[in-house]
Amino acid sequence: MKNYPIWKSFTVVSLVLLGIIFAIPSIIYDENSENWFLKNKINLGLDLQGGSYLLLEVQLDVLYKEELDNFVDSVRLISRDQTVKIEKIDIQENEVIVSFPNIEKIKDIRDAFFQMYRGVTLQINNNKLSIKLNDEYRKIIQDSAIKQSLEIVRKRIDESGTKEPLIQRSGKKRILLQLPGVKDPERIKDLLGKTAKLTFHIVDNGNTSALQNNLAPFGKIIVPDMYDENTKYLLDKRAVVGGENLVDAKGSFDQTEGHAVSFRFDTEGAQKFGKVTTNNIGKNLAVVLDGVVITAPRINSAITGGSGIITGNFNAQEASDLAVLLRAGALPAPLEIVEERSVGAGLGADSIAAGQIAAIIGMVLVCIFMTLIYGIFGALANISLIVNLFIIISLLGTIGATLTLPGIAGIVLTIGMAVDANVLIFERIKEESLKQTKVFQIVKNGFDRAMSTILDANITTLIAAVLLFAFGSGPIRGFSITLSLGVIASMFTALMLTNFLVYMYLSFANKKELKL
Amino acid sequence: MFGLNKIIPVEPNINFLGLRRNFLIFSILVIFISIGLLSIKGLNLGIDFKGGTLIEVSTKNTSIGELREILSSSYSDVSLQEFGNENIILIRLQNKSNQESIETVNSVKNLIQDKVVEFRRSEFVGPTISSELLFRGFQAVSFALIAILIYIWLRFEWQFGFGAVVALTHDVLFTLGLLSILNVEFSLATIAAILTIAGYSINDTVVIFDRVRENLRKYKKLELVDLFNLSVNNTLSRTIMTSLTTLLALVSLFVFGGEVIRPFALTMIIGVIIGTYSSVFIAVPTLLIFKFRPQDEDD
Repeated sequence: MKNYPIWKSFTVVSLVLLGIIFAIPSIIYDENSENWFLKNKINLGLDLQGGSYLLLEVQLDVLYKEELDNFVDSVRLISRDQTVKIEKIDIQENEVIVSFPNIEKIKDIRDAFFQMYRGVTLQINNNKLSIKLNDEYRKIIQDSAIKQSLEIVRKRIDESGTKEPLIQRSGKKRILLQLPGVKDPERIKDLLGKTAKLTFHIVDNGNTSALQNNLAPFGKIIVPDMYDENTKYLLDKRAVVGGENLVDAKGSFDQTEGHAVSFRFDTEGAQKFGKVTTNNIGKNLAVVLDGVVITAPRINSAITGGSGIITGNFNAQEASDLAVLLRAGALPAPLEIVEERSVGAGLGADSIAAGQIAAIIGMVLVCIFMTLIYGIFGALANISLIVNLFIIISLLGTIGATLTLPGIAGIVLTIGMAVDANVLIFERIKEESLKQTKVFQIVKNGFDRAMSTILDANITTLIAAVLLFAFGSGPIRGFSITLSLGVIASMFTALMLTNFLVYMYLSFANKKELKL
Repeated sequence: MFGLNKIIPVEPNINFLGLRRNFLIFSILVIFISIGLLSIKGLNLGIDFKGGTLIEVSTKNTSIGELREILSSSYSDVSLQEFGNENIILIRLQNKSNQESIETVNSVKNLIQDKVVEFRRSEFVGPTISSELLFRGFQAVSFALIAILIYIWLRFEWQFGFGAVVALTHDVLFTLGLLSILNVEFSLATIAAILTIAGYSINDTVVIFDRVRENLRKYKKLELVDLFNLSVNNTLSRTIMTSLTTLLALVSLFVFGGEVIRPFALTMIIGVIIGTYSSVFIAVPTLLIFKFRPQDEDD
């Protein structure tokens, strides 16, 4: 082994061995293995193993609007306390403008309001008080809404029995979900699509004219029935007790009522509920979920045990899903699905199979071609190419990268491009062989001259791949990862492994001249 | 071994630069046609960039016509297409809002439930997302061009950077024009393909430029045209070899890689051919504009 340092051979051989050994877990691919070694396998992306990717957007506008409504209610209360009349209330997109017939107490009202909502922008202009939702205030609302939403979404997904979900914030007002193996994405979307705000309100049966005119007096609201839009109820705006006081909810079955949801309050909720039912015997109590009345039974007796059931025209699945929603709690604002990509297990398996076939056939074609053109040297390059593939697989497995369908495309592409470095070297060797006859000098010059070209050429490809990673999403990132790893691995295999193999071949074959 | 390597002579002597006017005129024409096509016909935007709903189903004993009949009674803007084989059908719908689309997927599924063996895939991209994705795609491609320009600038003289970017822009426009004619779906994967083409084409160009730089130092008296010709000839067998091995892998991907990846593979195949052409016939002749001899010797 002329001119070839031992340490270099050792490094090359051990790196190649490591590359092959760490590819084993991904090739065996034992899904449930807990073995420390076999765990280092490639993660399959949702497009290959099947599952759902969802991007949800928190409807912050609803919250801002709600907050403006709160402002109105509070101004009304303050004015009433201070015995000031209000002339007009004007709710705009971003602010509430309250006009008073006289300006005497307007400053007191402003100060009282400021005590309740620190951070809003208050302005007095003659007889008008303007209450503005400023950017900081909106940001506080936004951040807390996203935080709460994340928590609730996580609970709901956990309750739905999805294994290993990924749930994270994405950008300012979005939540990203990756749910591997989900078979029925529609059900998940149903679970996430509901705010699940549950409240109990006393029904006001005495005021029929309000219902007829569809105009709720102050302190009341008109809410439609869940099953019949034309049936409406006039309710106290203030909820007696709400979903936040629930500690448990379960789907249950009742002989007379059918499928129902049974629930239990915490101590505070039970006390409130007991007190209200004691004081309002004979009245109706409406159960309101997301702005519609599910049911409004008559209170026949005081309910002090802190538990009860909600009946409606549920089937078993609906009752159990409602129970899931109630257990997980209400979302602060509705979530809108802005992007969905769901792949069934069948398509995923087909994609893997097709990708494997394409990779193997591509590999075989390239190997045949290289051998035809470069003979023995081509065969040596083929060994490098195969090792290159093993190294990509083992790197993907050990860094825990996710393999996607475009990722497989990246690997196949890399197979074609990885021989480039070898080709560059061989062409240089070919040229050098015309200039001199010393075999080892030819090879050495060939590798040395090709080096800077290989670096320049591959770095430009890496630049494109890195930018793809920075701007791409999901599956496309998978492509940029395999492409980058492929480019890096191909530089190693060409400059070190092919180099080693060529020297070994020349030493053992004891070649006196070199023809490529 | 089999002597096939002799097909390309070790030192070929083809007068590439002599043909430069013809190819330049050809490329300029193509670029104008491409720009025309892109502004008049446009690209066949997939749901990634247009927004909408896509459902892939596998059926048994149901023709695409039957499914179309069922769905078109409820949806006016539904389009169906066989995907790979006659049992796999793609259903596309345009939705106006996010909420609508969620209901659409559900009701489409209910309508055709009994005709379908498996719902293989359902994708929905809302209007806000699709415009964001388009913007990010453009951003990625332009940043890539700029970053590559900067890299070439650092490693070579700025004239080389100019030549490379002219060639790259040519490749991107040429490829987009062909995608428009062939009506290939333009998706996120296409953006990835175009960026990879940029990477590939520049890779090719850099190898030739590298040789140009080397020859500029070696042959100080040689006419520039001859020197460029020599450099292209020096690297010719490598240029052809690498393009062929890459194309072999891509054709394998196109034929065997499955229906979903096919537009990506096709775009790449087109791009690799164009990229190879442009390195030889666009990037190198562009250098002639400058009539330069580098003043500095950087090693």
